Amino acid sequence: MQNVIVYVQHKNGATPKVTFEMATLARKLADQLGGKAHALVVGAGSSQLADTLKTYPLDVVHVNDDAHVDGFLLDPVIDYLDAAARAIGSSLVLVANTLGGKDVAGRLVARLGAGVVADATDFKIEGGKVEAVMPKMGGAAITTAAFKAGDYGVATIRPNAFAAQAGGAGATVQPIEKPAGKSYAVVVEKDVEEGTGELALEEAPVVVAGGRGLGGPDPFENMLKPLAAELGGAVGASRAAADAGWVPYSLQIGQTGKTVSPSLYIAVGISGAIQHKVGMRSSGTIVSINKDAAAPIAEFSDLTVVGDAFAIVPELTKLVAASKA
Amino acid sequence: MKIVVTVKLVPDPNAEKRIDPATKRLVRTGVETVLNPYDEYALEAALQLKERIGGDTTVTVFSMAPESLKETLRKALAMGADDAVLLSDAGLEGSDVWGTSYAMAHALKKVGFDLLLVGGLSDDGSTGATPGAIAEYLQMPLVTNARKAEIKDGALHIERETDTGYQLVKAPLPSVMTTALTFGEPRYASLKGIMGAKKKTIAAMSLGDLGLELPVGSAGAKTELLAFAPPAARGKGIVVEAADGATGAKAIFDFLKEKKLV
Ligand SMILES: Cc1cc2nc3c(=O)[nH]c(=O)nc-3n(C[C@H](O)[C@H](O)[C@H](O)COP(=O)(O)OP(=O)(O)OC[C@H]3O[C@@H](n4cnc5c(N)ncnc54)[C@H](O)[C@@H]3O)c2cc1C
Ligand SMILES: Cc1cc2nc3c(=O)[nH]c(=O)nc-3n(C[C@H](O)[C@H](O)[C@H](O)COP(=O)(O)OP(=O)(O)OC[C@H]3O[C@@H](n4cnc5c(N)ncnc54)[C@H](O)[C@@H]3O)c2cc1C
Repeated sequence: MQNVIVYVQHKNGATPKVTFEMATLARKLADQLGGKAHALVVGAGSSQLADTLKTYPLDVVHVNDDAHVDGFLLDPVIDYLDAAARAIGSSLVLVANTLGGKDVAGRLVARLGAGVVADATDFKIEGGKVEAVMPKMGGAAITTAAFKAGDYGVATIRPNAFAAQAGGAGATVQPIEKPAGKSYAVVVEKDVEEGTGELALEEAPVVVAGGRGLGGPDPFENMLKPLAAELGGAVGASRAAADAGWVPYSLQIGQTGKTVSPSLYIAVGISGAIQHKVGMRSSGTIVSINKDAAAPIAEFSDLTVVGDAFAIVPELTKLVAASKA
Repeated sequence: MKIVVTVKLVPDPNAEKRIDPATKRLVRTGVETVLNPYDEYALEAALQLKERIGGDTTVTVFSMAPESLKETLRKALAMGADDAVLLSDAGLEGSDVWGTSYAMAHALKKVGFDLLLVGGLSDDGSTGATPGAIAEYLQMPLVTNARKAEIKDGALHIERETDTGYQLVKAPLPSVMTTALTFGEPRYASLKGIMGAKKKTIAAMSLGDLGLELPVGSAGAKTELLAFAPPAARGKGIVVEAADGATGAKAIFDFLKEKKLV
């Protein structure tokens, strides 16, 4: 493996921060491997996004505003990536470890006959071999895996694990041809975005997350949101809260939701099930508020306050607000 | 209609996981092997579809695992699957995602299906890449994270969760589908189901049945595991009992201040 290709997941040009983390990482890896750093961005809004991407330390950004990419599920993207990978030659493809990213990674494994490392939080290059470090089993194990010889590899990248840093000489933006002679079977009939316009959970420096202990949607709106706003952060939730319909699933943190690692994570009325822990364990400082001293969340919190969230949170919001006045 | 559901057999997710520093392997003693939780949701979805479609619809469970774990599959049969297929072979040991998907896709083609349900994520390897790789090897469409599915006029109509919201999509049959947990909570096996499961068939398949061109198992793997270690320990946290809201709030505020987080 010599070159690095970043697959840019986006919607109408809006992309999560992990894209820029991967663009920054791609440069580092490409330099160590003695190859080039590429990015592929396809679908409506790509050209506009490419203008931002080229300010990151990439060599080439391959672009096509092809609307087919948005009209059909997954397959057009795979054809573009396949074509790009074959044209570029021996390469490691970086894909965000998101719901959509996993699908892309899986199809590429078979399309390119490639190995995959998943949810990588660090890389080492040893004698030209790429090694990835990945937390597994809810953080109970840290695994290191290496790609064996082979032209292609696929790595899914954990959001927030790598730094994003613009810079470099400015990448060349280059159109990529639409793969010819393809027809697609899975039609996207409707595409709905939820919870937009607010600070993205994965990007927030502070996350205030609520669980079943909050008992309903109102405390998320009237209690957690004001605290998050004072701290300059975003509101998140446990699966139990999302399942209950109190918040949209886009706010869910954990194995089957988002992975976050803010500098400060405040868990309110969350017990700390292993599937929740997986998504927030790498946060800088973890504070929990729980009325049960025996809740598992205390085992991985830096500070646990045993008490009633409804009494504590509003007071805390006031203290934070006052400290800024 | 024939629905096949893939089920991985994994160490109990709720068991305390420990790594033996000497062998660098998971301590398996006292840790039960169970159906991968996500796959129980996929099975639930299959059973719901079977109930809705009716007729001669069947649900077959498919797993690739050592022969010694065969009986663990009875739980899936007790939940309501009609039969099971277990792909076991010493030559599959040490397979990575690539090898697992390559072998499974060939086996699943032999088993045959109109709809293949795959879980979204395993609890141990947790790459989530298997469904896509299987679909690609089968040259079939892949629709992931379905929270609702309906079969109408020979096509699949799916409502699926995405990173930013949800989508309505239409796919042909056969297709490969993964389900979101919101599809429905897995049912419990009834006593009747448990009794009935004892008589259901678990068919055996081995590498010899597949006629694969490429080597699988450790020999064919595209990745190799170099290290498996416990994480760096997090320092022990502080616990404060708060008599009232103001005390609790102050404890947090002072802590955040000390950490320069406010
Ligand atoms: C395959 C699978 C995947 C999953 N994926 C996820 C995932 O991605 N994310 C996730 O979060 N979960 C996930 N889960 C679910 C997980 O196992 C737990 O069920 C869930 O995290 C529990 O949510 P909770 O902590 O909000 O609720 P509970 O476990 O019910 O905890 C509520 C807590 O609130 C406390 N409390 C109650 N009232 C108050 C009060 N007034 N003040 C303070 N504290 C109070 C209680 O003491 C308790 O500790 C998954 C499960 C499965 C099987
Ligand atoms: C700690 C650990 C780390 C690993 N890391 C890697 C790695 O980085 N790269 C790599 O290539 N391999 C890795 N493996 C090996 C990999 O787990 C297996 O090859 C596995 O069978 C497929 O991948 P997965 O567990 O990630 O499944 P996922 O892709 O997460 O599983 C999705 C779904 O696929 C189906 N499925 C997967 N495996 C089977 C099966 N054996 N039988 C039936 N259904 C199945 C299930 O329905 C499951 O819900 C790792 C294994 C472990 C235990």
